[in-house]
Order: sequence, then structure tokens, then C-alpha cells
Amino acid sequence: MSIPPHAPTIDTSDLILRGYREDDFEAMASFGASERARFVGGPQDQWSSWRAFLAGIGHWTLRGYGMWMVEHRETGQVAGRVGMIFNDGWHEPELGWHIYDGFEGKGYAYQACLAARSYSARHFGLDAVISYISPENIRSVALADRLDARFECEGELLGKPCHIYRHPREVNP
Amino acid sequence: MTLTLNIPRLETDRLILRGPEARDFEPIAAFYADESRSWGFGGPLARDDAWRWLATSIGHWALHGYGFFTMELKDTGTACGITGLWNPEGWPEPELGWILFEGFEGKGLAREGAECARHWAYSDLGMTTLTSNIKPGNDRSIALATRMGAQYERTYDNVHLGEDLLYRHPSPEALR
Repeated sequence: MSIPPHAPTIDTSDLILRGYREDDFEAMASFGASERARFVGGPQDQWSSWRAFLAGIGHWTLRGYGMWMVEHRETGQVAGRVGMIFNDGWHEPELGWHIYDGFEGKGYAYQACLAARSYSARHFGLDAVISYISPENIRSVALADRLDARFECEGELLGKPCHIYRHPREVNP
Repeated sequence: MTLTLNIPRLETDRLILRGPEARDFEPIAAFYADESRSWGFGGPLARDDAWRWLATSIGHWALHGYGFFTMELKDTGTACGITGLWNPEGWPEPELGWILFEGFEGKGLAREGAECARHWAYSDLGMTTLTSNIKPGNDRSIALATRMGAQYERTYDNVHLGEDLLYRHPSPEALR
């Protein structure tokens, strides 16, 4: 049985949102091992990053959508991952973003999130989605704000308290 | 190159071996919730971790071109277990694994599925050797490995599971 390739490719001015490649693992594992991952379940060891890498692929098969790898077009480097996460235990699908070392502060996360959010609303029927954000994650709160997402309520994800933000409707707002 | 999925469908007398799918989640979650069944297979796992395990096992196919099949009874279409090849980060080498869901043991299904997967690994993937990593005390699995002709080779420290026994299966030539 052949399942079609998962993540569709999306081009933005500086970035390519695409599916997973074997050599993306290094970048993902170094992000996972770093302090930068503290708000997204890390820092974590190589084993957990390996699991997350493969589960990121499997998510597309199980749900029909997922997180894209974000490639910086000019350098070909992996700048992070963005997209829709709906693991078991999530209340609804969320827009998530992981931006890797060296790629923050350039507007890439904003650019990638807008593209992923718009695509997901139009092609996956996931509109006015949420993002789970730790209130201590100042940068993510600022990005949510810039994306016009609004604080909705305090919530919980896998037993940990967090804030739930709601994104604006993309289709027929 | 972007990783894609291409999972074969294999058949035995009584079983279909097919790629993991979303509908396998409930039996897998039930299996992983039961420590007495899943302790030799990385369990027990909470429901959300079992979901990630299923997602991971699909991604494994994309990365390696092989992975765990869901075993399905031909007669009823019921998923009865898992068998196939597993090679996570840090594993000594690819291994042949198997588990049955509750109510399906004692019928020779694990052996039927695992021998089919082993044959596929040798004939289609061109593998020249295969191991099975078994937790000490998992006597049922040791008995099956032995019935399949595998022999104890060494004890090693598994990166994820700790002390683990490595059994080596007969080579493709020896099985001919």
C-alpha cells in the first residue's frame, strides 16, 4: 500500500515549508537538546528527539495534517517547524511553532505561521485554531499577539497549566 | 529527498500484514495500558504516549523503508498484533519484534506473522542477518525466538530499555 507524500510544499518570500528529510534530524535534535525547547516539552535527549521526528511524520498520516519543516531558502538550512499539532490529549488542533537557533528575530516565525495557518484553514478545514502557550514564553506570547491571536482562557495541556490563544478566522472572517 | 511512505501488504495463511493506520490506535492503547502485556515492549504507556508510539512507528517506515506491520486476521479483519522490523536511534542493529493483543495468543499467530516479516526482510530488503531484542524474563518471547531458530548471543545495555538479551536469527542461507 502506498500512502501519498505527506506535507505539501508551501513557498513564502524567505522560506519553504515542506515535508521531512532524513538530514533534518540533526537540526531537530540540537533544538530538542537546547534550552530553547523548554516550552515545548524539552530539553530532551537524542532518543526523545528521534521519537518526535518520526512522530512528526506519522502525525500527517494519522491526522491528514501536521507540522512542516521550515527551510530557509537562501541557505537551505532548517529554521524550525511550524504547523498543526493534534496529538492525543490535545483539546483541539493547535498551531505550533518551533524556531531554531539563529533564526529568531527575523520575522521568519511570523511568516511561516501565517502561511501554515492560512493553508490549514483552506485545505484542512482547520480555521480559527488555538495555540497553547506558556505565559512565561514571552517571545511566543509576542508572536501570538502579532498574529492577531487573542488570549481566550487558562487551560491545561497534558496536566501542565498553559494559556490558550485563539487565532482569527482565515476563511470568510 | 522528502521522506514518503511505501508499505507493502503481506499475506500468510491466516494473516494480513499491513502498515499501521489510525484505526489501530484503540487496540494499541489497550495493549500499552496493560503492563503485564507491554512491559517487554517499552510499556506501560499512557494513552497519549501510545498515540505518539503509533505516530512514531509510521514515521519509522518513512525513515527506514521498514517498520512494524499491524497483523490483521484474514477472516474477520480484526487487528490481532504487531510484528516487523524496528531500528530506533541507538539500537544495536535492526530487530524483528512481535506482540499480540489480548485474546490472540496461543494460536501460533505471532510465529506466523514474525516468520513472514523475517522472510520479507531477507528476500525483499536483502537483509543478511536479524536479531530480536528480548527483556530478561520475557519467557514467551524467548520461547518463540527459540522456536524460530534464533539463538542467544549476548546481553547488552539498551539505550532505552536497559538490560536486554540479544537473540540472533538464522541467516537467509540457513533458512533455505
